[in-house]
Amino acid sequence: MKQVIALEVNGERHEIAVQPSATLLQVLREELDLLGTKQACDAGGCGCCTVLLDGRAVYSCMVFAMSAQDKKITTIEGLPKDGKLDPLQEAFIQAGAVQCGYCTSGMIMAAKEFLTSARAPSDPEIRQAISGNLCRCTGYHKTVDAIRMAASGR
Amino acid sequence: MSKMKIVGNRVLRTDAYDKVTGGKSYTVNLRLPGMLHAKLLRSPYPHARVLRVDTSRAEKLAGVKAILTAADVPQIKYHPVYFAPSTAASMVRDMLILTSTVRFAGEPVAAVAATRTEIAEEALELIHVEYEALPAVFEAAEAMKPGAPQLYEHAPNNVVMNPSFSFGDAQKGFDEADYVFENTYRTQRVHTCYMEPRVCVVDSDTSGNLTIWSSTQHIFGLREKLAFALGIPVSKVRAVKPTYIGGGFGGKLDMGFLEPVAALLSLKTGRPVRLEHTRYEDFITTARNPFEVQLKTGVKKDGTFTARWAKSILDTGAHATHGAVVLMVHGFFGFLLPYRCANQKWEGMTVYTNNIIGGGFRGYGAPQAAFAVESQIDEICDKLKLDPIEFRLKNAHSEGEQHPFDPNFTLSTYRLAECLKKGAEQIGWSKRLPAGAGNGTKKRGIGFACQPLWVSGCVGFPDIYEHSGAILKLNVDGTVNLSIATVDMGCGQNTVLSQIAAEELGVAVKDIRVTYADTDTVPFDAPSHASRVTYSAGNAVKAAAASAKRRVFQVASGLLNSSAENLEIVDGRVQVKGAPANGMPLADVVKRAESPCVNMVPDGMQRTPLEEKGTIMGSACLAPASNPSPAAVEFVEVEVDTETGEVKVLRVAYAHDIGKVINPPGAEGQVEGGLQQGMGYALMENLVFDPSSGACLAADFLNYKMPTALEMPAEITCQWVESNEPTGPFGAKSLAEACAIVPAPAIANAIYNAVGVRVRDLPITPEKILAALGKLDPA
Repeated sequence: MKQVIALEVNGERHEIAVQPSATLLQVLREELDLLGTKQACDAGGCGCCTVLLDGRAVYSCMVFAMSAQDKKITTIEGLPKDGKLDPLQEAFIQAGAVQCGYCTSGMIMAAKEFLTSARAPSDPEIRQAISGNLCRCTGYHKTVDAIRMAASGR
Repeated sequence: MSKMKIVGNRVLRTDAYDKVTGGKSYTVNLRLPGMLHAKLLRSPYPHARVLRVDTSRAEKLAGVKAILTAADVPQIKYHPVYFAPSTAASMVRDMLILTSTVRFAGEPVAAVAATRTEIAEEALELIHVEYEALPAVFEAAEAMKPGAPQLYEHAPNNVVMNPSFSFGDAQKGFDEADYVFENTYRTQRVHTCYMEPRVCVVDSDTSGNLTIWSSTQHIFGLREKLAFALGIPVSKVRAVKPTYIGGGFGGKLDMGFLEPVAALLSLKTGRPVRLEHTRYEDFITTARNPFEVQLKTGVKKDGTFTARWAKSILDTGAHATHGAVVLMVHGFFGFLLPYRCANQKWEGMTVYTNNIIGGGFRGYGAPQAAFAVESQIDEICDKLKLDPIEFRLKNAHSEGEQHPFDPNFTLSTYRLAECLKKGAEQIGWSKRLPAGAGNGTKKRGIGFACQPLWVSGCVGFPDIYEHSGAILKLNVDGTVNLSIATVDMGCGQNTVLSQIAAEELGVAVKDIRVTYADTDTVPFDAPSHASRVTYSAGNAVKAAAASAKRRVFQVASGLLNSSAENLEIVDGRVQVKGAPANGMPLADVVKRAESPCVNMVPDGMQRTPLEEKGTIMGSACLAPASNPSPAAVEFVEVEVDTETGEVKVLRVAYAHDIGKVINPPGAEGQVEGGLQQGMGYALMENLVFDPSSGACLAADFLNYKMPTALEMPAEITCQWVESNEPTGPFGAKSLAEACAIVPAPAIANAIYNAVGVRVRDLPITPEKILAALGKLDPA
């Protein structure tokens, strides 16, 4: 039976009825129409659905929506501030780190958490940080460039 | 050629902003009012007859709107491959939308449409299917033996294709050889791993017209294949171009089971029907075909080929799908054509088994051949103490020669030698040590491989579409809409085509918008495949832009008091050549053409002459004039841990005769991504199956291992040889596949150089290296 829960997503509070089995990914995409978060495997294997939960990067397909109550959820749609892109988003454009773009939301969210704690990250640290996010187009080369660029531009 | 303003510049992708903010326009995001959700019921048996399907319990489940079984669908045999006509003689039509004889574990036998996905899933469990299990076979070698289970009547011993070609006299060539080398190489089944699952939405109207949105590499192929399988005219199907697809790599180059099933469910219910694959379903419905390649090569002491012979056995799984063409591309562009040799013979076999079906995958048969051919050349050079670079150059084709594929074409631009030189310098080839020479437990090695000959599209191939069309429409604000069927798979086709249009029209890239397209409104274009888009579609876009420009000059000639021939467009301004002050913004010329009958000019009101009126457009539909070959070389340095067998790729130096780079970061991205795929192929990826049941054991990203950012090397350099292909748009030819073909043999050769042992079957896992080093019993 569905239960009504409250989720705070990108600073907005939503009251929604969900099945206890519903994942955060399903609720974001199907109930809240936040389609920027992508589903690619639904099994915690690819990272396309990465979002921030109280600032921590999580696979939203591996989190029950009910367990995300009382936590702050940030999706790719929540990154731009005052109409300006997040420096990571801007860096992904400038570095040419986007190809098909399907992994991009998750990749940027994983990098977002990483850069909140890493001040001047080395390339191996950057690679470690996104090693839970698969990309089949770019070989990650320009993705690492982008994250380095965003880190150094702060 | 005058200096180019846009082509060759580092241009930011036109879709990047949208994609970093969440990328709305993927098919996976499409929702329509009243949309139903469909699921497929798949056979757990690899080979079975369906005796009875009882859907009565599922029908009663609230929310279920329609159910299909084999009895409800047209039983028209089709082939799913987009680039070849449905009736092409070279293709094998052996598929049904839903079947009563399943031939692989996972073949669909029924489908459900319901108001919610979970209801459709629940309904599948309520469908009872009675199967009669049949004996199954999972190895091509076993499948060809007498008494093996037979999959089809049309393929005795399960051999569905058995082409052979020979040039000269192979036996004579072997007799003349100083040395003969004979080895067998094996490659595994790997998956394209596009990130966006296969997904489609189909809507229908009361007249039976279908509209389909699908994550596909080819809207016209989808239209044709869907109409054929359903037994309806193509005009009843409108396929809408997906603005984005989340990767394809060849894995979305054929119609899946999902599209015709969703279409029939929509026709049955009158509602839009959405069908999205799970990742498991994606993994079991396309793959790069595994090959066994037996290779025999005769050489003179100096390294000249005297004879080459190969036999290639392709496991095509339960249906022929791409298996016929993959085999031919493998034979010709992988084996027969890349190097000169007067005496050659090749035999190919496409063999049915009860494995999953194969599909397209970047390189299309050539990676399997390159692994064999380029590995063996390395073995020959090592044995005869010849320089592998000199060896290849001795046997390679030269610029200006007749094209070995088609005598109508010339290798008008072809700079393999320059690629080899640049790559060798970048990696430090001259410092390479003899095989296994390093000290310590971690040993480094350098190796390389070539794809000496490759395609820019498919001109010259029988039965394969190769033409493009484009429409450009100019707007009164001076911007341009480009309508083209070409799907941007993520490679950056839209950006490159925009650059080509902008360069030809003399406007900025930001002024071009690649806009809506569907099969009703734009001309045919062949699929996004075969490394063809920049060259083929690029030529069509350039011609369409030139045609629009001619119309601009006609309209502007009266305004500027100059003949049309004497006008040019520079930075969005139409002006008289040599007198740039005499000009006006392009937007004003378009406004003139779009103006009402009376137009305001500085001198007052003036009639626009009728011949200057009408929307300014340009269009072109054409096939390219040639099929120019790029040349690709990749040098790699690896480190092999002789204690663990682990291989690290440390540095990569890639060099490619590309004709002309249109967008350098896009081109680099192709090489970097191609390396990820080729490296996965070389070292880790393997779609493993249970040898008794045929069940896929690696149908998720936890068990199917591909390189992450941690495994990829930090140093990847790309060097472009710009040979300015005369038939290419602004000199360009192809890139996309060659850079995914060369990594595996280059890595294999580097591993040999590091540790002095040769692994001839992919993937080269730590276990195989340790076994070759004598530190582990072979599996």
